[in-house]
Amino acid sequence: MSNPVDLETAGLSRRQLNLVVMVDCSGSMTGDRIASLNFAMRTAVPAIREVAADNPETDVRIRVLRFSTEAEWHVGEAEPIDNFTWTDLKAGGETAMGAALIAVAEILNNEHMPGRQLPPVLVMVSDGQPSDDFEAGLSALMDSSYGTKATRVAIAIGQDADIDTLQRFIGHAQFKPLRAANAKDLVERIRWATTAPIKTASTPTNSPDPLADLWHEASEQNTVVEEMVW
Amino acid sequence: MNAPSSQTIEPGAQFRALSSGRTGQVGEMLGAGGQGAVYAASFDGAMFALKWYHDHVARVDVNLRNRLKRSISRKPPSDAFLWPVDLVEMPGSQSFGYLMPLRADGYRCIRDIIAPPPRRLKLSLSMRLRICSAIADSFLQLHASGFCYQDINLGNLFVDPVGGHIMVCDIDNVDVDGERASVYGTRKFMAPEVVRREALPTSKTDLFSMAVLFFYILHGWHPLDGQAEAAVDILDAEAENKLYGTEPRFIFDPDDQSNGPVPGHHDGIARRWETISKGLRKLFTRSFTRGLHEPRDRVLETEWKAAFTRMLDRLITCKECDNDVSYDATPGSPQKCGICEALIAAPVMGKVGRDWVVLGQGRTLYARHAEQGAKNPTARVGIVESHPDDEAIVGLRNLSQKPWLVTLADGRAFKVMPDKTVRLAGGMTVTFGAKRMAITDPADTPEQPAAEQPVAKEAS
Ligand SMILES: Nc1ncnc2c1ncn2[C@@H]1O[C@H](COP(=O)(O)OP(=O)(O)OP(=O)(O)O)[C@@H](O)[C@H]1O
Ligand SMILES: [Zn+2]
Repeated sequence: MSNPVDLETAGLSRRQLNLVVMVDCSGSMTGDRIASLNFAMRTAVPAIREVAADNPETDVRIRVLRFSTEAEWHVGEAEPIDNFTWTDLKAGGETAMGAALIAVAEILNNEHMPGRQLPPVLVMVSDGQPSDDFEAGLSALMDSSYGTKATRVAIAIGQDADIDTLQRFIGHAQFKPLRAANAKDLVERIRWATTAPIKTASTPTNSPDPLADLWHEASEQNTVVEEMVW
Repeated sequence: MNAPSSQTIEPGAQFRALSSGRTGQVGEMLGAGGQGAVYAASFDGAMFALKWYHDHVARVDVNLRNRLKRSISRKPPSDAFLWPVDLVEMPGSQSFGYLMPLRADGYRCIRDIIAPPPRRLKLSLSMRLRICSAIADSFLQLHASGFCYQDINLGNLFVDPVGGHIMVCDIDNVDVDGERASVYGTRKFMAPEVVRREALPTSKTDLFSMAVLFFYILHGWHPLDGQAEAAVDILDAEAENKLYGTEPRFIFDPDDQSNGPVPGHHDGIARRWETISKGLRKLFTRSFTRGLHEPRDRVLETEWKAAFTRMLDRLITCKECDNDVSYDATPGSPQKCGICEALIAAPVMGKVGRDWVVLGQGRTLYARHAEQGAKNPTARVGIVESHPDDEAIVGLRNLSQKPWLVTLADGRAFKVMPDKTVRLAGGMTVTFGAKRMAITDPADTPEQPAAEQPVAKEAS
């Protein structure tokens, strides 16, 4: 007669939020840049967990893509953030940013992100010019089912990063790429880029421009440059 | 999260409080949010919390300073509000902040009731009802002082899970009711007309947000998330606008099942709905059917409070599944448990005026049950205890200072002195003072005079 219902999980059918981090691992990243990036990602993980915990109705998953001469998945299966640990990336080769976008476009759909989803968050980190067909990559991204719905954030490392290209990836006039001129900046930018958009997507407000808070904060970060190393 | 940026201020820095002109010192960071960061602060020999805004928030929200100034000039509607004390500036900074009382230890964000374990805050149904009632009470006082809150949501409320007290944070959204509001609140909690940007927040839209909050606290779920939400693959601004703005529909709308619960997905929520009282279900239904479109029809704080209190009085624990449910059957009849569907035997009940109280083991009676217009309505006056040797025998112990007068079904009467217990039996009446409680025991047939003489038992 008794028909047990697990009331405790009743409210816990959470929407997934997929975070995809795309990292430029070209030759120019070799040395202290890639070392800083690995450090920055490692320290961002607990911060992502914290923001995920603050938004209990959101189930945050992470994937990582590296691109140099080719694009390849570093973490290809969406990993629940609570289980995720960072494995260091190595640098060397060219900057196949177009191929990276194509690879990401392939998973921005119901098949690879099944069930109830929040808009995905795409974070692009790069220190240079694309060496392949960026345009083809961008069209593939925008043509994918969730491409235009995704929140797109970019971090430009050093003086040689291609700001215009990153700006086109973001596709929002006021939302500028974040700039990192030294290791300390990079830690702060990566932490912000992987956490602030999760908070915004999980608890949306009624602001006419859903990205307004994000781009305001982004431009504020860009006003302080303490030390130009890169 | 200790990487400094232009947004943060350094612990140890001096600040100046604007109206008093006195200085204070920034302490450790307590937390950061979308609008700014909150620090401990020492000021005037005491500890406070200091909220310091991000530069762009201070710049963009032009009314922020005035809203805060106005709140500072008024006294807090109740102790539950972390009300601003003074504005604060710092040399060399474009931004500003405000001082407020520190939240006491032991308080948890109410959002934790929907957090996955181990963070989950587990609360009994009776504690949830008490918290809802305390929230209704606080907003009643805020609205009565002519303010509206504008951004009621799970993140702004903190509870003490032991005492059931609440604290309301983030008072910077509070504005004078009817003034031009400046906040774009948390969308899932906003009234549909605000989501559609046809209206600005007022106390009427607060009433809607409050109804959403109560539904969340009792069900762990949003009242407008049914089949329609489950069918949305990717919840972007457009989809949200539809679900909460242009086409909002209640998951339990009796006349429109188009957004009803999806079997297998919403089962637990549907069971919880079955456990709450008919009176509360009526209020939720009104809030999320007519109340969606007619701000005038929204449920008032006093109506919520009365319904929460009534349901608290009618809680009964199902012996089969151990869940608390509201006993809504006609007194004397058994009721099917809304969760496990087992039959719950009719309990011993007391009737005071129009209201029924389930007199199960452990039930406390308060001054509101015993006196007319009690000064301290939550003072305990009695408690139901079972007999140490036979749990079927229940008695009511007098916790008040005054003797009670008990009249039995056959007309005999006697006094129950403070700290003494009277065995409960059908047909008996307990007179506390101004109020009187008539006892119904389904085990006794009212015609038949109590078989064994109920006597005032020695306090154990
Ligand atoms: N009076 C207080 N005492 C102790 N901690 C506080 C107090 N006020 C706020 N906090 C903590 O500081 C942090 C930031 O709080 P706050 O709600 O003000 O941020 P916010 O910028 O408004 O964030 P959100 O955008 O989420 O509303 C939270 O962790 C909160 O619990
Ligand atoms: Zn049961």
